[in-house]
Amino acid sequence: MIRMYIPLKLRDSNFTVWDIVLIPMLSATLTSGKMALSFLPNIEIVTLLFMVYTCVFGAKKTFIISIIFSTTEIFFYGVQTWLLVYYFIWPLLIFLTSLLFKTTNSEWAFSILGLVYGLSFGFVFAIFESFFYGLSYGIVYWTRGIPFDLIHGASNFVVILMLYKPLLRLLTQLRNQYIGNRKVA
Amino acid sequence: MNKKIISILVVILLAFGGAFLYKTLMPKGSEGSKAVTVNVIVASEKINYTKEFKTDELLLEALFRANMDELGLTLTDTQYGPMVTGLKGYKADETKEFFNIKVNGVDSMVGIKEIPVNDKDVYTFEIKGF
Repeated sequence: MIRMYIPLKLRDSNFTVWDIVLIPMLSATLTSGKMALSFLPNIEIVTLLFMVYTCVFGAKKTFIISIIFSTTEIFFYGVQTWLLVYYFIWPLLIFLTSLLFKTTNSEWAFSILGLVYGLSFGFVFAIFESFFYGLSYGIVYWTRGIPFDLIHGASNFVVILMLYKPLLRLLTQLRNQYIGNRKVA
Repeated sequence: MNKKIISILVVILLAFGGAFLYKTLMPKGSEGSKAVTVNVIVASEKINYTKEFKTDELLLEALFRANMDELGLTLTDTQYGPMVTGLKGYKADETKEFFNIKVNGVDSMVGIKEIPVNDKDVYTFEIKGF
């Protein structure tokens, strides 16, 4: 029996049903991944997941995922000035990842991006915080957070170097499997 | 694989080295780099307290918690964060009064948990009725 390929597309929308299921699911993995490691200071897998999602599912979808993820954080922590930075910092990572992915697929390149990203995380937050509370507050905020930025950068490097390739392979395989199954039964 | 392990070790060592440098080179701030003034006014009890604190704390809550005895501080936890209910030994009657907070003479819109400590700021806590 031959099943017809039916494009499950919503009217007047570029999103397929697959997207509508996939995007919240990936957002949930980010939130749960962050929560699972929240007992470790500044050691996280969110950076890795954003990178892999960008490479596998594209920048556009991952950008929407980042918006959902950042908004979910507000439900957990309330509206905080540092949470507003999430709406900037994660899309920036997605943008940088998509640029990098056009030139290389080496885990080394992404690890270095993760390292630099982790090291400068507190600095970016400090810039935003100084808009709200003044420059002196921003400087103190950044300098007091340097040890945490060091942990963040180093842990990003290790996590991405070890897990980027296997995760990329797995998700690409799952994505291709789904697309294959969707087109031909 | 060896190359990966070596680079991971190098990055971890550099991070530890950076943390060590941070600890040794950063100013200790034992006296504090910011000077702020705290006023406590309870007219009915003739309390008019003023003291300058030198601190490196980021938020007023941390400064207050570090000087609990000096300030005679009582905090009550609420769903919105800690609320100052007692200062200089005076406990506010929560049914009819509260500690009004002014930052540089302007009513604060937030509690001590969200008030940043900036150099030369003046924080005034004055008992006011509802």
